Amino acid sequence: MSVPKILIVEDDKWLAQQHARILNGAGYKPTVTLNAIEAIQSVDDEVPDAIILDVLLTGNTAFALMHELQSYGDTGEIPIILCTNLAADLSLDDLAPYGVRQIIDKATMVPDDIVTALRRVLL
Amino acid sequence: MDMVRGDSDFNSASVNGLPSIIAAAHELKSPLALVRQLSLTLEDGQVSASEQKKMLRQISLTSERALRLTSDLTKSARLSDAMFKLEPINPQQLCEDIVYELKPLFDAHGRGFRLVSRKHPLLLVANRDLLRRIIMNFSDNALHYTDGNTAIEIQIRALNAGKTIRLGVRDFGPALSGDMWRSLRGKLVNSTTPVHARPQSSGLGLYIAGQFADVMNGKVGVTRHRDGATFYVDLQASSQLSLL
Repeated sequence: MSVPKILIVEDDKWLAQQHARILNGAGYKPTVTLNAIEAIQSVDDEVPDAIILDVLLTGNTAFALMHELQSYGDTGEIPIILCTNLAADLSLDDLAPYGVRQIIDKATMVPDDIVTALRRVLL
Repeated sequence: MDMVRGDSDFNSASVNGLPSIIAAAHELKSPLALVRQLSLTLEDGQVSASEQKKMLRQISLTSERALRLTSDLTKSARLSDAMFKLEPINPQQLCEDIVYELKPLFDAHGRGFRLVSRKHPLLLVANRDLLRRIIMNFSDNALHYTDGNTAIEIQIRALNAGKTIRLGVRDFGPALSGDMWRSLRGKLVNSTTPVHARPQSSGLGLYIAGQFADVMNGKVGVTRHRDGATFYVDLQASSQLSLL
């Protein structure tokens, strides 16, 4: 069985490293990108099995990225987990059409929450 | 020379009241969330000694960043109650001190941070503490809201035949998009609330910097370049040298 490839899109480099550390430890293969443009390039190179996505990014926000991903058949199917400080203001029902499967609140999450969320969406 | 698309000053954003609690909470959430994640991972004890050391350093530096913001907020809230001594200041010396102080933070992020030195020293009239806070704020902003491995520079320039001194923090990150820039300029002209120049920033730092500049009869603003931006404060030059 191949190792699931996870794309992390997070503009706080240290938090991105933290997510990658947790995912590596859980047996995933994480790739870190710091903005939406890098994320699109990364998806072009290799379609990930899931994306962990911050909302407020440098340059284009997560919404621009999700819209772009939805424009193509293959990338539109990638499950997205939003990991954001704005979780309280977002509705999963509203964002489900953009491929969002789960929303994690950065302020209250524990490190393993991203692993739990990935296990759920990759079932 | 980079093409300058236009300057905008932020003082219009600083005339009405205190920054909102929501903006303050938003700005503090990111560093606190990061500190919490790192602490929880350290508690778990599953990281190597070298990783532990790195994470502890990140916790210290991130906490210091959050504390700088809370300290600026307190100062900002008390501006109207306090008298601030304005005095002739050598900005080069002050900026050298800031570079020295923030260098560990920039090093930890793998980013360069330097002062573009001037051959001929300039003097300006300012409050040392407030000016220091403005430049620290711009530097923090440049570090956290631009990405890549580009360096960040502090620049000192004389304008208006030497009557005004501009201290700018130049970043070389991705420029604001045209739409974002037009939106920002519109807000700068019309807004009486905090203005954000980066999409993920609440603009609280700029709002506070604008307040500090006001107290010193100065103004803060931003210049957009093809490959980044310069956030600056303009202050009155000191005539002390010419009197000597």
